[in-house]
Amino acid sequence: MMDTDFLQPDEQALAQRFIDDGFVTTRADDRNGLDRIQRRAAELAADYLKLPPSNDPYAMLDSIHARVSVDDLNGLRLHVFNGLNAEPWFRPTYFRLARSTIETIVGNELCMQRRVNLSIQLPGDSSSLLATHSDVWSGDSPFEVVVWVPLVDVQRTKSMYLLPPSLNGEMQDRMASLRSAEELYKTIKPHATFIEIPYGHVMLFNQTLMHGNRVNEEPGTRWSMNCRFKSIMSPYADKRFGEFFEPILLRPATRVGMQYKLPGGFHG
Amino acid sequence: MAERAGHRGYIGARPLNGSRSPQHVQNIVIRDYARRKNLQYLLSAAEHIMPGSYMVLEDILDELPRLNGLILYSIFMLPADEARRREIYDRVLREGCDLHAAVEEITLSSREGIQAVEDILLVNKYATIL
Repeated sequence: MMDTDFLQPDEQALAQRFIDDGFVTTRADDRNGLDRIQRRAAELAADYLKLPPSNDPYAMLDSIHARVSVDDLNGLRLHVFNGLNAEPWFRPTYFRLARSTIETIVGNELCMQRRVNLSIQLPGDSSSLLATHSDVWSGDSPFEVVVWVPLVDVQRTKSMYLLPPSLNGEMQDRMASLRSAEELYKTIKPHATFIEIPYGHVMLFNQTLMHGNRVNEEPGTRWSMNCRFKSIMSPYADKRFGEFFEPILLRPATRVGMQYKLPGGFHG
Repeated sequence: MAERAGHRGYIGARPLNGSRSPQHVQNIVIRDYARRKNLQYLLSAAEHIMPGSYMVLEDILDELPRLNGLILYSIFMLPADEARRREIYDRVLREGCDLHAAVEEITLSSREGIQAVEDILLVNKYATIL
């Protein structure tokens, strides 16, 4: 019997979109939680730049390029990254943004990356680009997914691009004949899709697919966060359990199973 | 010439000499090295896990005209093929850059230093430390 027989129609549709397109975007499950993260990011940015707190966090983040230089960008990024990850409510809130989608695509016994990443892409800045890659090529397990959350509207080069699943295998087969990741991008460029995500939505994508970003040619600054989730009992790669991932949901049956010992003392 | 940006870190997911270091630890080692040597550290690029792939290193080499140099986590991340390594040294030095290896505290900034680096790699290839 197919496993889809056990899923609700909306779950089946979501699962099929993920398989076919390599990603799904949905409204954040916890909009208030997303607004809280956005507000805190803007507060931390203002703190770093010694600016008064803004009552419009969206505008503050989207126009940050007017207030920070490329040389100071990583300092700002680290300040906001460390500040957000230090908040005890941050990671549970991040999970709640996409909980229903994660549970449909991945499962309900989960581990989560220990620190949620933050990217800031100023317009015209080439200093912190991510070349074409699959996360699996740098030590992630193919059993992981990425939850990618923008703090501003993203579209075109202000967003990230993804290669569709239908082309990924073919392009991977050609990779070894290419010299660099930039050459790889030039090869996949006609097929790569920049994903449009309005603020208030989240994306969950298949990180075995090639993806990356280019110089942001839009007028606003991109702020986005990303974090990996996987089923806790699925295989790990170089990003190990304990050092990179930690459990967030472990069900009682699994706890019982891990503690159970068969009766011993037989000498037959 | 345009102003150069700093030193790009280079880490990886493949085991080195049979042992592995988590990527965040590799970054800590590189960042500490850069701090002690007074180098401006630029975020590391992570090499592919597939054996024999140096596509990410090639991207950094293409970036050299805009850099002061690169900091490898370890000298043993360089390609196993000596001719390919020598091409890398040539490119780095030709661009007026230098190459560092954080774990081994190696700096290659002139042609005179190449043989010392090669000696380490070749001895490691043939000798076994028990």
